[in-house]
Amino acid sequence: MNLKEIKEIINLMNDNNLNEIEIEREGLKLKLKKSSEGGLVMGTPTHYAVESLPSPKAMPSTPPSTGSGEASKNSKDIKSPMVGTFYRSPSPEAESFVEIGQTVEIGQVVCIVEAMKLMNEIKSEVRGKITEVAVQNAEPVEFGQTLFVVDPVA
Amino acid sequence: MFSKILIANRGEIALRVIRACKEMGIRTVAVYSEADRNSSHVRFADEAVCIGRASSKESYLNIPAIISAAEITDVSAIHPGYGFLSENAHFAEICESCHIKFIGPSPESIRKMGDKIVAKETVRKMGVPLTPGSDGIIKTQDAALKIAQKIKYPVIIKAVAGGGGKGMRVCHNDVTLINSFKMAQTEAEANFGLGDVYIEKYIEGPRHVEFQILADEHGNVIHLGERDCSVQRRHQKLLEESPSPALDANLRKKMGDAAVKAAKAVNYHGVGTIEFLLDMHNNFYFMEMNTRIQVEHPVTEMVTGIDLIKEQIKIAMGQKMKLKQEEVKFRGHSIECRVNAEDPYNNFIPSPGKIMELNLPGGPGVRIDTHIYPGYTISPYYDSMVAKLIVHGRDRNEAVRIMRRALDEFYIAPIKTTIPLHMEILNHPTFLEGKATTHFLEKMMKNE
Repeated sequence: MNLKEIKEIINLMNDNNLNEIEIEREGLKLKLKKSSEGGLVMGTPTHYAVESLPSPKAMPSTPPSTGSGEASKNSKDIKSPMVGTFYRSPSPEAESFVEIGQTVEIGQVVCIVEAMKLMNEIKSEVRGKITEVAVQNAEPVEFGQTLFVVDPVA
Repeated sequence: MFSKILIANRGEIALRVIRACKEMGIRTVAVYSEADRNSSHVRFADEAVCIGRASSKESYLNIPAIISAAEITDVSAIHPGYGFLSENAHFAEICESCHIKFIGPSPESIRKMGDKIVAKETVRKMGVPLTPGSDGIIKTQDAALKIAQKIKYPVIIKAVAGGGGKGMRVCHNDVTLINSFKMAQTEAEANFGLGDVYIEKYIEGPRHVEFQILADEHGNVIHLGERDCSVQRRHQKLLEESPSPALDANLRKKMGDAAVKAAKAVNYHGVGTIEFLLDMHNNFYFMEMNTRIQVEHPVTEMVTGIDLIKEQIKIAMGQKMKLKQEEVKFRGHSIECRVNAEDPYNNFIPSPGKIMELNLPGGPGVRIDTHIYPGYTISPYYDSMVAKLIVHGRDRNEAVRIMRRALDEFYIAPIKTTIPLHMEILNHPTFLEGKATTHFLEKMMKNE
């Protein structure tokens, strides 16, 4: 939102005798309120905060899991969607699905989480570069636990 | 001996089980949803595993997640608590097939008692009295009249697929029955998608009296007395007490024996509760069996001195029950008040939120089972019960005095709770005289 748009909104308010208007969209929350003296009081735009806006495409809007001891630095990290045992490769002799430094695409299989004897392929929901593998091979993981730290690529 | 138990539940009951385990030297694993990250049961367990998002379906009802958590923590057994998966026969079966002991009865027992019609048929064969009624669905007006004449008025028409007190019509004579029957069928169809109805004798002014059962895996079954749970709102219990003001030793023996018979009918093991309706003439009728530990179990613990959770765990470990029926002694009187985060004077609207101030009652004869603490946020995802306040006195009068005193000390802010409602109940003549039936609370609230 730029100044021109904000001025347009202010004019809209004046034309229609509105005292208060609140606009919310991804990345921005804006509240304009006329003060009792007649002037306009501008609210501060808030940044997209993980805990306030429940966007369906965002990662879970709760504090990140600290199961592995590694705090998630951004919402683009790959987190476990289930409870189970983490495996880096499809089988013990095979190569890991992904390595540090590798760029992953959305939908790319990055690891396996085994639960109740079933091997579940975990697909990345983001596009980016793997900067850290947050869990050791064959370690248990819980729901929401960070598996890979990802540096998102535009 | 179980080395480690996973508690597949939350809130106060999860904490309750953890406490018993700690005293028995058993390690504990808590599972929690994202909304329960700061919950007491998570803090006090030895290990904790996050199993899903806030909604019950994604967490506490999520069988694969719970079993997976049990596997990665390598537990010997799972305690299901109450509600959630505690009476899910399928879950009990999965535990069995994964070689994890389900702390509860067998899947077959759960199934048999879970189906109301099957349960009644099963206990009927053992000579347990049932509410007189139709054997199955009543399809025509004529059949309705016939059954009403047989079991005598008043009768109640119930929807087979109904529940929660809905879809029921009471009829006092042939005329009302004829008028109500077709309407009941239509209503059932509209509300529940199934127009099937059945008819039972309508018990007037009933009390809800339930018996606690304890059974080991070696065929020994005893009862630990009754709990009177007549103070209810919309079939939800608010207050429970033991002994029931309506029972004398004679009636207790009759009902207790019937309860034991009912449990034996399904080869029960574990803790369980047989629910009866007791009418004004001291006739009792089997309603259903709850195949799990119940919310109000502390009331029985206070009057018998027996730790039901520990007994449950011992039974699950295959231990033979040493206690004999004649050895069960009842001492004094116990009352429990369920404190819910609801506004009782505003249609019981839920009152979730952060607890900023908390003063829990204490002193002699007072027990509090709760998971809340100052700064804890009650989330809107689960049931609204925040604490159980239990008292024990030498007799009913003393128990009442202690409860009043304890309720007075109990301070929670700023959320609203049912504490003031309990105070009203504890000062109401009908309750004080021990005359409360299942209609009591509704009547009390109407007179405001």
